[in-house]
Amino acid sequence: MTSPFHHPSGSAGVPDLSTATGTSNRRRSSYASVVSGAATGPPYPQQSSRNSDFSRLLSHLPDTAHQSVGGYLQHDPRSSSMEYNTNGGSHRRSGPWKTGSQLPSFSSAFGALVNGQRDNRGSHADSFFTPSYLRGSKHVQTLEEAHKAKVLSYKEGQASTSQPGSLSTSASSTSLHTKMAPSHRGMTYDLIEKMPPLEEETLAPLPSKWNVMDKDAGLEVLSEGLEVKFSGSKWTLERDHEASSIRSDHPMPSQCGIYYFEVTVMSRRREDSSIGIGFSAKHVDLTRLPGWEPESWAYHGDDGNTFCCQSTGKIYNEPFTAPDVIGCGVNFRTGSAFFTRNGVQLGIAFREIRGKLYPSIGMKKSGEHIRVNFGQSPFTFDIDSVMEAEKNIIWQQIEATSTAKLAPPLSETELIQSLVLQFLSRDGYVESARALAEELQAEKRALTLDGITAVDGVNVREDEDSVHRQLIRTFILNGEIEKAHQHTDKVYPHVLKSNEGVYFRLRCMRFIEMIRQGAEMAQVPSPAKAARKSNGYYHSDFDDDVINHDMELDDQPSLDKMDIKMEPDEPSVITYNQLLIETLKYGKEIQHEFREDPRREVQKTLAEAFSLMAYADPLGAKKVSHLLDPSGRVSLAEEVNCAILLSLGKSSTAALEQLYQQTTVLLEDLRADGGAGSFVNIDDYVKPDSQNFSSFSSR
Amino acid sequence: MTSSSASTTTPARHAFEARVEDVKTVKSDINALILDYLTTEGYPSAAAKFSKEANLRPHREEEAVKARQEIQHAIHLGSIQDAIEALNELEPLVLDHNPALHFALLRLQLVELIRTCNSTPGGDITPALKFATAELAPRASAQSEYLEDLERTMALLVFPPDNLEPQLAALLHPDLRRSVADRVNKAILTAQNQRRDASIRNLVRLRAWAEDYARESKKDLPARMDLGLDIGNNNDTNGSDPMIA
Repeated sequence: MTSPFHHPSGSAGVPDLSTATGTSNRRRSSYASVVSGAATGPPYPQQSSRNSDFSRLLSHLPDTAHQSVGGYLQHDPRSSSMEYNTNGGSHRRSGPWKTGSQLPSFSSAFGALVNGQRDNRGSHADSFFTPSYLRGSKHVQTLEEAHKAKVLSYKEGQASTSQPGSLSTSASSTSLHTKMAPSHRGMTYDLIEKMPPLEEETLAPLPSKWNVMDKDAGLEVLSEGLEVKFSGSKWTLERDHEASSIRSDHPMPSQCGIYYFEVTVMSRRREDSSIGIGFSAKHVDLTRLPGWEPESWAYHGDDGNTFCCQSTGKIYNEPFTAPDVIGCGVNFRTGSAFFTRNGVQLGIAFREIRGKLYPSIGMKKSGEHIRVNFGQSPFTFDIDSVMEAEKNIIWQQIEATSTAKLAPPLSETELIQSLVLQFLSRDGYVESARALAEELQAEKRALTLDGITAVDGVNVREDEDSVHRQLIRTFILNGEIEKAHQHTDKVYPHVLKSNEGVYFRLRCMRFIEMIRQGAEMAQVPSPAKAARKSNGYYHSDFDDDVINHDMELDDQPSLDKMDIKMEPDEPSVITYNQLLIETLKYGKEIQHEFREDPRREVQKTLAEAFSLMAYADPLGAKKVSHLLDPSGRVSLAEEVNCAILLSLGKSSTAALEQLYQQTTVLLEDLRADGGAGSFVNIDDYVKPDSQNFSSFSSR
Repeated sequence: MTSSSASTTTPARHAFEARVEDVKTVKSDINALILDYLTTEGYPSAAAKFSKEANLRPHREEEAVKARQEIQHAIHLGSIQDAIEALNELEPLVLDHNPALHFALLRLQLVELIRTCNSTPGGDITPALKFATAELAPRASAQSEYLEDLERTMALLVFPPDNLEPQLAALLHPDLRRSVADRVNKAILTAQNQRRDASIRNLVRLRAWAEDYARESKKDLPARMDLGLDIGNNNDTNGSDPMIA
């Protein structure tokens, strides 16, 4: 390794850098974020001089620093305009990205820390991107979910650190929403110390920029890590350098199935470039062009040859130079790689590629300059169609697969019938199961040749349990939470006692339903109508509710007055004000019940539910209306059903769900090494609406 | 809850199974899958009940589902003439655009005519012969593979019905009705710009494919991956399981 950045001597400087020098840097970065809409110029010289100061310190190459600063300034105007041209929208993340790249080259121990910090900051800026051809990729979905979770935990972490006692309470909470505000500046420090480095290796993220920690000293990284410029002197090259190379921050994830990136040659001089574009393993020497060394592959601009792990090239295509756009794609299923030039596919260049490989470029002439697109912007080449064609190959394989081995002796049709019937009855859809059984039986009878032969019944074996479960589900779906609660307690007295979580959500849901009732009443002027409408989808008789209150006097004394207050001649109508009083009362009751609960989840749910009270029209208020969404009823109904099934000693998972789960895990395994599973997203198969195999990319 | 005791009783649990358990299924997705199956494959009454019970909006017109189901039902019953008429009324162009499907329907009709005449002692074979010459022969003379099918079907008239070679016996098996009915259903769905297969079929095939492929690639899998349908295991504890007997 000749890279100076890995010398341990750098560690001596670390404490200083993280405190004193780091300070000014970081502040500047925040300013930069603030003004980034207007000009991105200022931070760059800062960055590059800082960067090269370290280079000088660590590698004892006094000249490089001046050279690179000078070289940089020359170029500056163009780089900032480039940024706006080709990376539209990305200026939002300029703050975090710069911060990351400003503190690049201390010791590697500190580097990890910086990395972690950078990623956390990066995550709360909206920095996730999905390359167009990976839009349907399960792997990228997983990455995105992880990213969102990270943003969330970052926010929550922030919230919890700003408890009373922290000096920066207000600053930190506001900084979440207005992260560009100057008040944000001081805060970033906490993050460096508090955020642990992330286990990115297990996630296999997409390459997002060039890695300033993994480059030869002769290169300079610009424009948020997307541009690379040769800044080494001849003197540098004369030593044992033949070229200067750099790798991306992450290896190409084989889980994507296909990985593709494009490099634009931006050098001023348009003749004979010395640029090599390809990929290499992490340990490959960066003082040589990719392709020359074992475990590196590249297409070289000077002769148009491809180099596969050796110094002699193979004739491939024409040389390239500015302003060509060269694309590099790897198909992990077939283990092959190809290049494109200006949107034209040049054919397979390499085969039998495997390993953890990083996009890599190298160059050796002063003034050479490239910009990479890892998918942040649209590609020149239509890689989406390549992806689609691959997916269709796999889809055809799947469509032709026999299901005979899944549950012998059942045929595919019989298997599916069994799966559906079992699901329906297990989840308490008794009437549906019965109707389907009848229809299936009619079908079977028709298929007997004479129409007389006795057909064995397609029977849904019903028991009392499934009827009870259906009833409870119906109550919940109708918003009649109390009834569901009572019925559950009556028939399955232990279920809610041993499933505290379900109990809690039932209690909360009842409060939410009261709010809904009130909100719907408020929308409809006539109180009589309001009562009719109050239960959501299916109208239900409010009378029942009233009658049922008698039964719950024991455990819910507060509701007792409700009956008394009722106008005797108008038993089915409750006024808005009465409801409001009841709602408040009930709210206090659950608040009292769960006040002491230490779980943050519980407190959060409660707080959310109570926040509904603050809105005059909660149904129309964007921030809270999701709480009133009927999907909440559906999922609660599922939870209660599951809890009952478990209490009865039955598996709560139907075979159909089991099949789904197994498929998910199998596909995970098939994705791991870039196999065919990478081209399959179970959602395309499961979600009827999204299923359109001729146009995957339209999703 | 009960999971700890369950895992101690089966000590040799494969890591795969633990991962399977950890996968979250979204119930609303599964519900949508079920409704899609019921409507696509033509179970209108179950579809209507289910969309009500699960609080889902039916995503296709119940009428259309019924119309398709009636055609399928007619084919299942062997009333091919009724099915063809209903089909021509519902989607007049389907058979014109699918000559192979049209031939398959007519051939099935011939099979049914032969079946009728075989089942009555001294049955009259004239209707079957007339139908064959009028409807099938002209089509078969144009296409060699149709001709072969026609000849094989006509052989049913010659050989004693209770001692047929398997290839011929298959023609008389009700599976032929089912497969023709499925083809007709798919053709209607295609004509109506809907997907041909219910999503659940794709999911089941995906599961089969994924296991085949994973075993081929020597992934570490349990020897057997049960779905938990309890097929052929009637003394199980899950008394509420529906079974197709």
